[in-house]
Amino acid sequence: MLQVRDLEVSFGRRRVPALRGISFDLATGQRLGLIGESGSGKSVTALALLGLLPENAHTGGSIRLNDHELLGRPERDLAPLRGNAMSMVFQEPMTALDPTMPVGRQVAEVLRLHAGAEAGPARSRVLAVLAEVGVPDPVRVADSYPHQLSGGQRQRALIAMALINRPDLVICDEPTTALDVTVQARVLAVLDQVLAAKGAACLFISHDLAVVSQVCSEVMVMLEGRIVERGPIARLFVAPEHPYTRGLVATARLDLVEPGARLPVVEDFYDRATGAAVPQ
Amino acid sequence: MTSNANPEAPRRDGLYSVRGLTRVYGRGSNALRALNDVSLTVSSGERLGIVGESGSGKSTLIRLMAGLDRPNSGSILYTGREITHLAERQLGFLRASVQLVFQDPRSSLNPRMRVRDIITEPLRSRLVRRHLSRDLEHQARLAEVLEAVGLSIKLADRFPHEFSGGQRQRIAIARALAPQPDVLIADEPVSALDVSVRAQVLNLLADLVRSFGLTLIVVSHDLMVVRHLCDTVVVLRQGEVEERGRAAEVFGNPQAPYTRTLWESVPRFTGGPAQKA
Repeated sequence: MLQVRDLEVSFGRRRVPALRGISFDLATGQRLGLIGESGSGKSVTALALLGLLPENAHTGGSIRLNDHELLGRPERDLAPLRGNAMSMVFQEPMTALDPTMPVGRQVAEVLRLHAGAEAGPARSRVLAVLAEVGVPDPVRVADSYPHQLSGGQRQRALIAMALINRPDLVICDEPTTALDVTVQARVLAVLDQVLAAKGAACLFISHDLAVVSQVCSEVMVMLEGRIVERGPIARLFVAPEHPYTRGLVATARLDLVEPGARLPVVEDFYDRATGAAVPQ
Repeated sequence: MTSNANPEAPRRDGLYSVRGLTRVYGRGSNALRALNDVSLTVSSGERLGIVGESGSGKSTLIRLMAGLDRPNSGSILYTGREITHLAERQLGFLRASVQLVFQDPRSSLNPRMRVRDIITEPLRSRLVRRHLSRDLEHQARLAEVLEAVGLSIKLADRFPHEFSGGQRQRIAIARALAPQPDVLIADEPVSALDVSVRAQVLNLLADLVRSFGLTLIVVSHDLMVVRHLCDTVVVLRQGEVEERGRAAEVFGNPQAPYTRTLWESVPRFTGGPAQKA
């Protein structure tokens, strides 16, 4: 469904590289996690897929969605795809939502822009999709402004917006990072459920490896604009092959370390200067 | 679950003794009870974790304990001295002895100051200065604390934006250590950091607490971080103490249903989502 080949992105006149030639495929309904530290290129990958890179970005390679090339296409070709063939759930729903418009109208807008739905039927679709994402009182939430809702409800509204047009691909960038842990657990369960129900593929960006393990079946590891490893969750988090992945997994497993004992760090496994494995 | 009704007698080694602390923001129908009748003690050398979700009152509690805000009622004894109604000019002893590290070093470090000035700022404060040991020489102390947090003295003339998030948090910790405090209060110290940097900063905090004999108070929404750093824990919910005890016991066998929900909500590593038929 999605094919990315040798995707390169650099910024500005000095062409500071952000992505150094990444390639990956995503099949229909597949859920792929994307992990790595800040600056590794995770979010640039998401923006490139959506055609939302800033103007000073230089790109190379290819992004094909359902056999159509997206890279280098003008905005008027890409805009109809966003929110329809692919959509995005951002980290901070307070900034992703328009503060001046009731939430229900914002969800309906996605529907009307793409499906050209009438206001009446759109309203009932909006209420239905809000119920699907586990909003207890869809009518009240639809008529509320973003600031009147809790963080969890706002994030559910964003998920509803992302899924209402049954996109083939949903890109989630740290969708639960700003939420409380009990809310996060519920939102993740809802996301899991609606992705499965709609059969949407998902590229799930997170710095939290445990969260990725709950949502995705496969995971890619990015480092300095490259994909250094990809594999099924069950293998990659248990027997990582690349020394950087080994370090990243070890350092994330707070649960495996005796409280108070020294935590492993990436540098115990991977030498950033040379790019070589540290002998164990 | 609270033992508020039965306040223990302040222990001799009780560094902090907090009794019946209540903080209400606003008034009338808009009043928000951020903290309601909270009591706790912190002993010297204790590593206390305060956990809870947003709105639980954890930040309000440490702001009061650090003398940055005043309660509506209740008392806070620090080394036996009541701090809740002291004027700022009388709080020098507390400022010298209790230091804070915040979540986001990007906003807690003054962007227009060089690292050397940021770190030595607490030493120059007229209020704090009188309470510091006399032989505390600024340049020597700067070198000491930078070394303690693993940064080169050569970096002292740079500005905060020239550093990574992890390095900035090291600078914030160095600044907190500068006046040789007894207590370090860390508010979500690793929440804004990458996983790959988190372990480094947690290791650093644990080392510093050990080598300087600090009392540590950590506020976090991340139960795994508190489990790792702390020996005791207080669980707050909507401004009240839900549960307290030794960290191993509270997390190993939570008594309050809310603590159990919190603990069970912590994302665990799985082999991927359950395969759907």
